[in-house]
Formats: sequence, structure tokens, C-alpha cells
Amino acid sequence: MSLIKQLWIAIALVMSLAFGGSLLVSTLGARHYLAQQLYVKNVDNATSLALSLSQMSKDPVTVELLIAAQFDAGHYRMIRLTDPAGAVIVERANGGGALGAPEWFAALVPVSAAAGVAQVQDGWNQYGTLTLESHSRYAYESLWRATLQLLGWFLGAAVLTGVLGTVLLRHITRPLGRVVAQAEAIGGRRFVTTDEPSTTEFRSVVRAMNTLSARVRGMLAEESQRLEQLRRQSQHDELTGLLGRRQFLNQLDAALSRDDAAATGTLVIVRVGELAALNLALGRPRTDALLCELAALLQAHIDAQPDWEGARLNGSDFALLACGSSATAAVVAPLRAALDALAERWHDCALLRLPMGATRYRNGEARAQVLARADGALAGAEQAGDRAVQINDDAAPAHADLAEWRSSLEEALRDDGVSLALYPALNAAGALLHHEAPMRLRLDGGWQNAGYFMPWAARLGLTSRLDAAVVRAALARIASTGEALGINLSVDSLRDAAFRSELFATLQGQPAAARQLWIELPEHGVLRNLAEFRALCVALRPLGCRLGIEHVGRGFSRIGDLHELGLDYLKLDASMVRDIDQDGGNQNFVRGLCVVAHAIGLTVIAEGVCNAAERRTLAELGLDGFTGPGIRVAE
Amino acid sequence: MPRHPDLRRRALAACRRCWVGLAVVAAGLALAAPDFDRLLSLAQSRYGSSGVNAVQAWQRMLADTADADEAEQLRRVNEFFNRRLRFDDDLPIWGEADYWATPLESLGRGAGDCEDFAIAKYVSLRQLGISAERLRLIYVRAQIGGPTSRISQAHMVLGYYASAEAEPLILDNLIGEIRPASRRADLFPVFSFNSAGLWVGGAAASSADPTARLSRWRDVLERMRNEGLQ
Repeated sequence: MSLIKQLWIAIALVMSLAFGGSLLVSTLGARHYLAQQLYVKNVDNATSLALSLSQMSKDPVTVELLIAAQFDAGHYRMIRLTDPAGAVIVERANGGGALGAPEWFAALVPVSAAAGVAQVQDGWNQYGTLTLESHSRYAYESLWRATLQLLGWFLGAAVLTGVLGTVLLRHITRPLGRVVAQAEAIGGRRFVTTDEPSTTEFRSVVRAMNTLSARVRGMLAEESQRLEQLRRQSQHDELTGLLGRRQFLNQLDAALSRDDAAATGTLVIVRVGELAALNLALGRPRTDALLCELAALLQAHIDAQPDWEGARLNGSDFALLACGSSATAAVVAPLRAALDALAERWHDCALLRLPMGATRYRNGEARAQVLARADGALAGAEQAGDRAVQINDDAAPAHADLAEWRSSLEEALRDDGVSLALYPALNAAGALLHHEAPMRLRLDGGWQNAGYFMPWAARLGLTSRLDAAVVRAALARIASTGEALGINLSVDSLRDAAFRSELFATLQGQPAAARQLWIELPEHGVLRNLAEFRALCVALRPLGCRLGIEHVGRGFSRIGDLHELGLDYLKLDASMVRDIDQDGGNQNFVRGLCVVAHAIGLTVIAEGVCNAAERRTLAELGLDGFTGPGIRVAE
Repeated sequence: MPRHPDLRRRALAACRRCWVGLAVVAAGLALAAPDFDRLLSLAQSRYGSSGVNAVQAWQRMLADTADADEAEQLRRVNEFFNRRLRFDDDLPIWGEADYWATPLESLGRGAGDCEDFAIAKYVSLRQLGISAERLRLIYVRAQIGGPTSRISQAHMVLGYYASAEAEPLILDNLIGEIRPASRRADLFPVFSFNSAGLWVGGAAASSADPTARLSRWRDVLERMRNEGLQ
């Protein structure tokens, strides 16, 4: 039973007791008083009437008139004159008349007053005895009214007390709701902290839970930190901090094979020529400083773009992978300028050569092919000169100008040219978690994947419209098949408040389908737009859809901070998964990542799983689900 | 009717003295029998031995006349009070313009005015068994100084009705002899009353009823009851 209900019952009990008691006392007191008053009136009126009668002549008409006059003008139940022998001379009685109070009340609290008796004299002789009773109607009436008034007062007081009590109780128990919410959050492995309420008892509970949360978060942060160190050790070049060769090749693989990766990109390789000779000339520390400066320069270029990667491939070769760029020259030119500036700073070192080769690649090409082209370009550049650039591009893209892209994209959106590809995401037991449903647009006479059109759509500001179309298509499919679907939203959509509210309204309109929808956003987009991501989480959480982050890898140590938003799952980036069965460093990192993610209640799904060996290793490392080219639903 | 309290009743009465609060209840049990123990002790405490003597004389008179016929009872009672009490106004006696005294108070002071005489006689006759219906306290206008005198004063007498229709006998303190009303040409009746109705209806509640004190008649009845007279 709720506290407020109990409060009302207590008030009702106390008030009925108080009311019953005071009603008893006041009614009995009033009844006694009224009876006294009636008796005094009876006696006095009988005496004065008898006195009048004694003075008058005793002819029957006069006597009757006098008594009738007294009776009619006054408030009497009965006036009777009897002769000394007891025979009635005159009697007036008024039996009926409205009581002024309910019968049961009169029966419950009878007001009885003795009659007034007085003697009537006729000279020296007795004439008779006068008996007089006043009407008790007004007594009942006033008793009844007093009782009703008392009842009214008590009811009023009870209601007032109850309302005040309720308000007070609400005020007192309001923090309780927050305490419960926090406890439930902790139960759901979201280790949130809340403000301490002012109520002492609740405060100590909240403080204890906050301490628990803080401790767990601290633990997780520590673990994440350790993992990050582990990851850096295994994936990054020790000296420059750039990615190492193996990891860079994994990234390149992902960029070439991932369904939603950009259709084109640029691979640039810069070589520090004659490294051995430089080492001799400058000495090891200065050479290292030079390499670090070069790495920093590269890193600055990478950081400026969301999808770019940089790596030290070996002692002298540095690589830059510019996913999504379609014009190789646009990538190369600023880099060349920066490298030239670097070379200027080291002009005392005549040996320094920084040739650069670049090539454009397309999604779906083989890694070796792209690398061979890039190497060829670099070899050409080495031949050409110290600061030469050689670009070794393949065929030109389908559409060259924006206007053309806009019209074909809008045509696809308008003419029902949107469909969803389906790739299963399975759990360790092989059961379906959901279908990954990347977008397909009917363009240029065929169904094209996201990498083909997304960069152009982004440049045209059409991504949120495309994403909205995906959400509608996914909900429609869920409604018809009942199977869970995973869709990814772009960063541009995340930043678009209008899209977020449209998404919310769409999901709210189909609550059953919304509960089967898994929505994921790329890691780099989330980490760059934390505020918007938080807003999206808070808005979508009550709707029951799952929320996750895809392409998780490098940013994991920061994702730990997001767990209290109610994140449901992570998808591990394909570059972490590639050849995991042979990569001890990545295995350690992934194992730790799974432990931390499970501690905060997240499901971890591996992306881009190619073969059974990878899948087996990943399952041993603690992954909950798998998706990729090597994953098919068992027939 | 028990003539004289026996030993057991004395013991009981002693108890009652201790519990003045219970006196009324106890007196109510001994209906119509005066509690002379209480009266005597009150007389002793209030008026000393002269008071005690007067009450004892009253007690003796009542006891002596208990078995006499009504005419004798009337005569003895009338004579007793007319002799015992000196007539005086209330003011010198009680320091009040009008005070209705109980028989104990009148006997204790040895004086009274007309209504004190009438009350004492009324109470005595009631104690001797004459019913209230046959007794009337009568307000009369008294002509003083002979039939031709024009001086008159307010007065009260006690009337005794042998039967309801009979001419009353008048017990007065102005003229010691009991005479029929017709032989009292000096008196003109105005109004009469007795304790009928008051005793019956009001009896149960009257002692606790504060309104009783507001009526002189009910007040004196109440005080008598407290003094041990019913």
C-alpha cells in the first residue's frame, strides 16, 4: 500500500475518532442544556399563566380563550387545565409538525424535559392544576444543525489535512523516485551518479550508490586506459605513434571491402629516401626527430578529416589513406606543400628526399592491386626527383558534377529507388541477432551501395533524407516480417536536429516495430558529436529500440564514458577483426574490450568476419555476435 | 414510618456526614423521612446549642403529632412555629431584602418573616404525611389595622384544603388561630403554589440543575433537601 493511501487512512481514522468523541460530548452537553432550558420555560410559563388565570373570572370561555391565546401565540406541545378531581377542563395539544431533524436522530438523542405544573386559584378555592409542555422541535433542530456543522468542520479539516499531508509526502518522497531510477540503472549496469537529495535517509542511500557507481566507473576507466595502452603497443609504431604496417593494411582492407565504406579514396605513400645514409649523417637521435616531425605532420592531416588514416609502413615509408576522397590531387597537393615546408626546415641536410606516390582506389578492388599501383607511383616519383609527386589513377568516376548527382539521387528517393541489403548478425550459438541492413539506391541502372553515393549525398546535404528513407523502409520490413533489423545513421543525420525529431516521431508512430530496430552510428561520428549523441540516446531510450556504435576500435576508451546513456551494443571494427586468429596483440585488446563492455552490459558484435578461424577466435575472446562476409545463416 | 433512628441508622448517618457529596443521594433513598442527625449536626455547627434545642423541639413535636388526626397536626404545627419564631423582616435577619429560609435556618435564627413561617409549616405538614395537593402557599394581600384600615401589605400564608373543593383553613402568623378562609376578611388571595410537579418532575435532576438556584421556591426546596429534608 502506498504511503499516501496509508496517510489518508490514518487521517480518516483519527478524524473519525475525534469527530465521534466531540460529537458525543457536544451533543450530550447541548441536549442537557436544551432540556434544562425547556424545563425552566415550562415551569415559568406554567406559573405565569396560572397567575393570570387566578386573577381572572373563571367563566369557561374566558379560561379557554386565555389558554388558547397562550398556546396559539407561544411554542407549546401541550397546555392542560384539570380540575382538582383530575378532570380535564381545557386542553390544547400540538402533536405533529415537522421535527426539523430526521426521525432517527430524534430517536437517538431524545430531548426530554418535565412539564411545568402550577396551581390555579379561584379566590380561596382551588380551581385547577395547569400542566404545560413546550415544543421540543427547535431543540431537535438546533441539535441537528449543530451536529451537521460539526460534521462539516471535521470533513473539511480531514480533507485539508489530507491534502496538506499528500503534498508534504509527495515532497518528501519525490527523491525516492530518483533513488529508485538510479538503483534500476545500476541494476541495468548503467553506473550513473545523481544529485544527493535533501532528505537525510535518501541522501545516505544515494551517496552509497554514487560511491558504488564512481568506483565501478573508476575501475572501468582504468581498464580502458590499460586496454588503450595495449592497443597502442600492438597496433602503433613505437617511435612515431602512427599505425603500424599490419594494422594499416587491415584498415586498407576494411576500406576496400566494407559495404558502407566510401566508393573511392586515395592512398598516398611518402618515402624518406636514403634513411640509412641519413642515419649516418645526422646520427640516430636527429633522424628520429625528423621522423617524428614527419609523423606529426601526417597526423595533423589525418586529424583534420574523419575517415583518414596514417601509418608508418616500415622504417622509411609513411602512408596516408584518405577514404572518401575522389580527387587525388586535392589530397596530394596540401601534403606536398607541408612536406616541402618540412624539407625547408631541414635544408642543412642535403640528403633528405621526400618522394611521394599516390593512387586512387575504388571500393571492391584487391588490396595488392592498390598497393602495387601506389608502389609504382612512388617508384616513378623516386625516379623523378627529391620532391616529386606521381599520381597513378585508374578510371574516372561515374558522375563528374554535383548537379547530375543531385538529380539522380532525388530521382531514386522519389521513385521508390530505396532498398535494404540484408546481412545476418548471428550470436555465438548461430541464432539471428538482427539483419544488418545497409542502404541500396537504384542509380545508373543498378542497385548501388552506400560507398557509391554517400560521399556525394553528403556534399549535397541529402544524407538525412536518405537516412529517413532507410528508417521508413526498415520499419516497413520489420512490420511485415517481424525480424530485427540493424540500420546505420550517418554523422550528418546525427547532427541534424530536425532529423532527430523526425526519427523520434516516426518510431513513436510504430512502437512495436521500433522495438525490433537496432540503430548504430560510427565511432568517429559519435566521439566528435557527443552532445548530439547524448540527446539522441535520451530521446530514443523510452521507445525500446537498441542503440549501438559501429566501427569501434580506437575510440573504445572514450566509449566507456557513454555507457550511462543506455547504449546497448558495440560493433567491433573490421580492422580489429581481420586475421585476429594470427594477431596476438589484437587478441589481447579484444579480450579486454569484451570484459569491459560486458561489465557495463554491452553486447559486442564483430564486423567483417571473413572466415571460420576468425569467428572461432573471436568467440573464444568473448564476442557475442558476428557479421561479415564469412557469416551466413545456417540453412 | 420509623419513629426514631435506630443504632444502625445512626452509624449509617455518621458515614453520610463524612461524605457530604453523597448526602443528596442518601436522602433520596430515605424519602420523606427527615434526616434529623444531619439537621442536628448542621444546627450545632451553624447556630450552636440554641439551634440544636430548636431542632430537637421540632423533632419532638413532629414525633408527638405523628399519630394525631389532621386537625390536631395542623394546630400543633401552627402553634409550634408561631411560638418558636419571632416575626421579623428578612433584612435584619438575613441582610437581604427578600430571603426564603429553610425550616432549619428559621429555627436556628428563631425568627422569620411570613414566607418563612409558611414554608416551615408546609414542610412540617408534608413530613406528617399531608399531601402537597392539599396544601397551598398562598400570596395574599393583608389589610393591617382592622377592617376599615387602608393599609395593606404583601403577605404569605399556608392554606389547607381538607378536600379539593373545600374552603381552605388558613395557617397564619399574624393571627395565631387557624381559621377558615371565609373568616379572614383581612386577607385577599392572589396566587397559590405548592411543590407538586417540582418534586415529581424536577426531583431527579434538580440537585444537579443550576436553574434550580434561580427560582426562590426551587432554591429553598433544594437547600432543604441538602439539609436532610425531603
